[in-house]
Amino acid sequence: MKDTLVSGEPKIPAPRGPRPPDGGAEAARRRKKLITLTRPWLLLAPSLVVLAGLLLWPLIQVGKLSLQDYEVKFGGGVGTFTGFDHYSDLLTSSLLWKTVLPNTVFFAFACVGLTVALGTLVALLLNRLGATWRMICSIAILAAWAMPAVTGTYVWIWLFQPQDGMVSQIAGSVGLIDPETTNWFTERGPFYAIATLNVVHHGFPFVAITVFAGLLTIPKELYEAGELDGANAWQRFWNITVPTIKPVFLVVTILSTIWDFKVFTQVYLQPGGDGSNEEVYNLGVFSYIQAFAKNDYGTGAAAAVLLTVLLLAITVVYIRTLFRQGEEDL
Amino acid sequence: MTTTRRTTLASRIGLPAAVIGLLLFTLFPVYWMVSTALDPKASLRGSDVLPSGISFEHFEFVFDKGNFGTYLLNSAIVGLATIVAAALLALFAAIAVARFKFRFRTSVLIMILIVQMVPLEALVIPLFIQMRDYDMLNSLLGLSIVYIALSLPFAIWTLRGFVATIPKEVEEAAYIDGASWPRMFWSVLLPLVAPGLVATSIFAFITAWNEFVFAYTFMKGSDKYTAAVGIYQFFGENSTAWGPVMASSTLVTVPVMIFFVIVHRKLGSGLAAGAVKG
Repeated sequence: MKDTLVSGEPKIPAPRGPRPPDGGAEAARRRKKLITLTRPWLLLAPSLVVLAGLLLWPLIQVGKLSLQDYEVKFGGGVGTFTGFDHYSDLLTSSLLWKTVLPNTVFFAFACVGLTVALGTLVALLLNRLGATWRMICSIAILAAWAMPAVTGTYVWIWLFQPQDGMVSQIAGSVGLIDPETTNWFTERGPFYAIATLNVVHHGFPFVAITVFAGLLTIPKELYEAGELDGANAWQRFWNITVPTIKPVFLVVTILSTIWDFKVFTQVYLQPGGDGSNEEVYNLGVFSYIQAFAKNDYGTGAAAAVLLTVLLLAITVVYIRTLFRQGEEDL
Repeated sequence: MTTTRRTTLASRIGLPAAVIGLLLFTLFPVYWMVSTALDPKASLRGSDVLPSGISFEHFEFVFDKGNFGTYLLNSAIVGLATIVAAALLALFAAIAVARFKFRFRTSVLIMILIVQMVPLEALVIPLFIQMRDYDMLNSLLGLSIVYIALSLPFAIWTLRGFVATIPKEVEEAAYIDGASWPRMFWSVLLPLVAPGLVATSIFAFITAWNEFVFAYTFMKGSDKYTAAVGIYQFFGENSTAWGPVMASSTLVTVPVMIFFVIVHRKLGSGLAAGAVKG
C-alpha cells in the first residue's frame, strides 16, 4: 500500500517511443509522431464516449430539465421552458431551508466527523495489534465495508424496529422508552441518528484502512525522538502522526464528505424515508420524490442541480488538495 | 486509544476492550442478519441474542414464493456484463493516462474525477427519461450500461495506479526484442496488470450488485428486479416479514463478503483512492 494516490506515486517518466532510427527517415518519424499523438486518444475513446453519454450528457439534461415544466404526453415527454421558476420556488420554500438543507448538511457533517474519528482510532488500534489480532480485526472491518448499503440498512431498521426490534426491546426493558409507543423513525433526530450509525458502520472501514496504510509510512525514528523529548501519546499523535500523514486525512475527509452528502439509499429505505414523512427529507430524497412520486420533474431536477453544485464545490477542494501534493501525481 | 500511556495496566485493559468493541460494532449487524434469517420465529425475535432454532425455511420461502433465484440471476448477469465492459474500457483508458503524455491529459483526469462525484439522484431523472425514450427501461442491458458508466471512473483511477507501477523498462525490453505494441500489450502488460484487473472487476461487480436507486427506478417488471431491489418486496409498510428480508439480505451480502476477504490483499495501491460506497 506504499504508493497510494495519497502518499504519492513514483513519477511517471515521460513516455518515449523506441528510439528514432539512426538514419533519420523523415516519413517514418512523422508517422511515429502521429501514432504518439493519436494512440492515447484511441485508447481513451471508448471510456470517454460512455462517460460522456451516460454521465455528462444526463447532467446537462438535468440542468435543462430544471428550467422546464416537463410532462408526459402521448407516451413522450414534452418540456416547456419556464426560466428559473423552479429555482426561485425551491430557494424560497421553507421546506428547503427548515428541513431539507439542515437534514442534508448536519447529517453529512455528523457522518464525516464520526467516520473519520472512528476510522482513525481503529487505524491506530490496528497499528498496535499483533499480526493475528490485526488480521482478525481487518476481516471484521472488511465485513462491515462489504455489507451492501441496502442490506445494511435493513439490519439497522430491524434492530431499531418499534416493539419487536432488539434495541427497542432492550431500551424498553431498561425503562428508557415505552416500546409500545416509541417509534424511532418518526422524528428526524432519532431517524438520522440511526441513519448515521448505518453510514458510519459502512464508511469507517475505508478511513481505517487508508489511514492505517498511511501510518505504516511514518518512520519509527520520529516517535523515538518524540519519546526522548518526553512527548506523551496524545502529543505524539498531534505533533507527529497528524502532520506527517495530513494528506491522507485530507483526502479521506473530503471523500467522506462527498459520499455523505449524497447518501440516498440508507435514508430512502428507512421507514418514512421514502417521502411519506417530510420531516426526514434530505436533498437527494426530496429530488427523487418530486420527480418520481409527484411527477414534478422540473423541481426534482432543480434540487438535483443544487446537490450537484454543492458536491462540485467540494470536489474542487478535493482536486486542489490532490494537486497541492504535486502535479506529477496526476 | 490515542491517549494510551505506556503504562501496562491501561494497555492491558484498553487494547482488548477496544478490540472487543470493534468486533461487536462491525460484526454484530452481520450476525444479527444471518441469525434472524435462520430463526424460524424471526419476527418475534426481540432481544434474544440466540435464535430460537435453526431452520432454512426463510431461504426456501424467498426462492419458492419470492422468486429470489431470478433476482440473483439478474444481478449476476448485470454484474458480469459490467465487469467485462468496465474492466476492458478502463484498462485502455488507464494505459492512456498512465503511459502516455499528451495534451489535455490532466483535463481528462480531472473530468474523470468530477464525473465520479456526480450524485446518482442528479442522473437518475434524465437517464430515466432517456431510457424510456429508447425503450430501455426494464432491460438488463440498459441497466448494465448505466453500471458500466458508474464503475468506469473508479476503475480507471485504480488501474492507472497499477499500470504506473509496472516498470517502463519491462516494456522497453520487449520493444528492443522486436515486439509490436499489441504483442507487448498481450504478453507483457496484461499479465503484469492482471491483479489490478481482478481487483477492478470485483469492485465493478460490487457496484452493480449493490446498486439500488437505478435498479429500483428502472426495473418495474417484477421478473426483472435485481436482488438488491427484490428484498424490497418482503419489506412491508406496516408488517415486515423479517425472516425473508434477512434471508434475502444474507444471500445478497455473503457473496460480497467472501469476495472482499479473498481479494483484500491484492487490492494494493490505487484502491485507497476510490470507493465502494453504495
